[in-house]
Amino acid sequence: MNIQDNYQKNKKNIFFSDNKDIQIHREKLINIFETDRFDRKNNESLKNINLKKFIEFKYKYLVPEETSVINNNQDNSYSIVSVNGQCSSFKDDKIEITKILYEDYNDFSKNNTIEKNDHFVNLNSLFLNSGFKIVIKKNNNIKIKISNIVTDDNLTIFQKNNYICEEGSSLSLIEEYENKNNSTSNILNVINLENNSKLNHFLIQDNSSNHNLIITSHSSCKKDSTYTQKVYNFSEGYVRNFHYSELIEINSEADLQGIFFLKDNNTSNNKTFVKHLAEDCKSNQVYKGILNDRAKATYFSNTYVDQVAQKTEGYQLSKGILLSDNASYFSKPELKIYADDVKCSHGSTIGPIDENAIYYLRSRGMSKIAATKILISSFINEELSSINDDLMSETIQKKLVRYLSKVK
Amino acid sequence: MNSETLNTLDTYSKNKYKYGFVTDIDNEKPKKGLNEDTIKFISLKKNEPDWMLEWRLKAFSKWKRMKEPKWANLNFPEIDYQDIYYYSAPKGFEKKPKDLSEVDPKLIETYNKLGIPLEEQKVLAGVAVDVVFDSVSVATTYKGELEKLGIIFCSIGEAIQKHPDLIKKYLGSVIPAGDHSFSALNSAVFTDGSFVYIPEGVKCPMELSTYFRINAENTGQFERTLIIADKGSYVSYLEGCTAPKRDDNQLHAANVELIALEDAEIKYSTVQNWYPGDEDGKGGIYNFVTKRGLCAGKNSKISWTQVETGSAITWKYPSCILKGDNSIGEFYSVAITNNFQQADTGTKMTHIGKNTKSKIISKGISLGKSQNTYRGEVSFLRKADKARNYTQCDSLLVGNKCGAHTVPYIDSKNNTAVIEHEASTSKINEDQLYYCRQRGLSHEEAVSLIVNGFCKQVLQELPMEFAVEAQKLVSISLEGSVG
Repeated sequence: MNIQDNYQKNKKNIFFSDNKDIQIHREKLINIFETDRFDRKNNESLKNINLKKFIEFKYKYLVPEETSVINNNQDNSYSIVSVNGQCSSFKDDKIEITKILYEDYNDFSKNNTIEKNDHFVNLNSLFLNSGFKIVIKKNNNIKIKISNIVTDDNLTIFQKNNYICEEGSSLSLIEEYENKNNSTSNILNVINLENNSKLNHFLIQDNSSNHNLIITSHSSCKKDSTYTQKVYNFSEGYVRNFHYSELIEINSEADLQGIFFLKDNNTSNNKTFVKHLAEDCKSNQVYKGILNDRAKATYFSNTYVDQVAQKTEGYQLSKGILLSDNASYFSKPELKIYADDVKCSHGSTIGPIDENAIYYLRSRGMSKIAATKILISSFINEELSSINDDLMSETIQKKLVRYLSKVK
Repeated sequence: MNSETLNTLDTYSKNKYKYGFVTDIDNEKPKKGLNEDTIKFISLKKNEPDWMLEWRLKAFSKWKRMKEPKWANLNFPEIDYQDIYYYSAPKGFEKKPKDLSEVDPKLIETYNKLGIPLEEQKVLAGVAVDVVFDSVSVATTYKGELEKLGIIFCSIGEAIQKHPDLIKKYLGSVIPAGDHSFSALNSAVFTDGSFVYIPEGVKCPMELSTYFRINAENTGQFERTLIIADKGSYVSYLEGCTAPKRDDNQLHAANVELIALEDAEIKYSTVQNWYPGDEDGKGGIYNFVTKRGLCAGKNSKISWTQVETGSAITWKYPSCILKGDNSIGEFYSVAITNNFQQADTGTKMTHIGKNTKSKIISKGISLGKSQNTYRGEVSFLRKADKARNYTQCDSLLVGNKCGAHTVPYIDSKNNTAVIEHEASTSKINEDQLYYCRQRGLSHEEAVSLIVNGFCKQVLQELPMEFAVEAQKLVSISLEGSVG
């Protein structure tokens, strides 16, 4: 079914389909789908994926029966269960959770950070059927854990979340995606960090092989704010992690990191993009990947430094380990720099596990597999040891052990 | 930046193009525009056999269906292919002069202004110079000596007449006519260029060199160079360019094909100093060059070295296809852009064979309002066991109106291949400047010293004949304007 029919047919289930401005924007999006030639070679968002599957999909959405639960524990921490992309409203003196309103429908059409021809973001705007908004109030320091649950098979979830960290607030956000059904989640997180706020964002992705997860985030950082994102991708199904960050005011910082573990026929597409639009900002983009069997991965990283963004520091690092003959890894670390007083660099390596290191371990009586496992663990040790939440650290260790048990 | 820097910057950014002059020679041209008649005219003028004309027409029909590649980070007005002369030969040159005395004195004068006295060069440097003035090869020197070794060094037009077997076998084998629109255009209308064949086991005793020169207004130059190094042979080839000043944009779309068979080595060096346009961004050469080398045999090696300082638009990616096992590809590049120049240049290393190695060193320097992009692709195909790549690309920025960009594409499909890439972007280190100035160097000298140091890794790869010229060029383009 083409996009136009699909949209018209399911219009009544889709958010804001009665709003005029949004309608106009959506018509434009439909037009893009109908005229685009889907140039796989030059469109980063299309590389290595079965586009037909995502564009000619069967729309299905269920409004969750149970209202999602919010648990307010003692130590300023909250547990949220988001079911099919929705969660119930909540309000106290620290946070406020609401459904998204059409004011929050951010079409990104005037923002050129996210590419206009990113079809997944466009699909998200077009078929939007869920999402929520979380506001962290001024000067609060809190922890939130969100479990994202999809209840049924064949669901198509198009979710848009807004996170607003007000001045001086600090948030540690852990999101878990662990689903076993063959649904597709297309999630767009819009994150706004006000002055002097801080957000530590962890995404733990561990879906089964028939579940697709497309996750895009756009964060914008004001004066003295810091956004840190860590993605742990253990999924057996397709995952797309595209994360954009804009440093719009002085002395802000963005740190986008990720590690992914792929095996079998799995594919993962990753992208990070940091835009320096003000002076004295720092950014860091680090992705590490381990690919086994016939797995394929892409990683696009991009640092853009505007003319006014003097004294910028922007670093990129991409590392890939190929464990099998049939795995492939594509990386494109890009720098676009228009200011002269900057320190920017990128590094990228792809290769097998160091044979000398294996030899060293084997000469000390270790089997080849054991040696390989130790070296993989050490490859990502830096990322794992930086987790300061014990419970999360344990979960990730377990997932790592599970992945390593399949390595031969 | 201090005021002194700004002053020197100002002086140097106004530096006029030294080689801007026009030689008045009557040109014999066909009508403007590109169609089958133009191609037939070129083919007739060059007295070509039918199979060549057919080859050209085939390329032309491919070109008609193609669009210019648009992915480069370049901005320029659309090229009107119908507003260009595709053939321009100085009159009376259809019959080639036997020696230099038969050459038009005005032509000789032009070379003297450029600082390449042919007569002297013949005696001195031991360089055989195949001079291309506009589209016809004017004089070829040192031919006799090369012939003794069995080396063929002539214009491509001559090679089509005399060595049709080699041309038929190799022309278009590395860059197929239908590769992209510029290669198709070149295949359809190329007029001249060089042809080199080094027979088995021969080490070419001298650096082969060609001076390309664009002269007649509105004449795009479409050279075609083909170099074949047979088993176990070695050749070093130099290409250098300067062009007179013009206000109209001139199109240049050359194709260079290198083929290295077993154990052969080709070293290809370029210094490009074409007219970059004036300080307002008016005029200048549009340079769309396709250069590709094929390491066809085992243990072969191809090395590209380039110093790019000219042209309003540079679109150039000398690449290596490493097909033979143990073959080696190298790419060394310095690209300097000033004023409104735009350069999108880099390389492509395709590893096919086992144990293939490649090395990329690229240095970009942007000044004024220019945009300098490194774009490179390294790919390891499935069978490229134990292949190895090392890439380093550094950029230097001067002033906050220019841009330096790095766009590497890295693709690995083999788990025994190792790839390393690193890049950095920064401005000139204030501490280094301070240190040099403290020891009595002027600001300009200090900058020149630091920048020469920045480029040294690449400049030292150039053959002696070019090293001096390249260093001069770097100094002219950079001196003082860096700070």
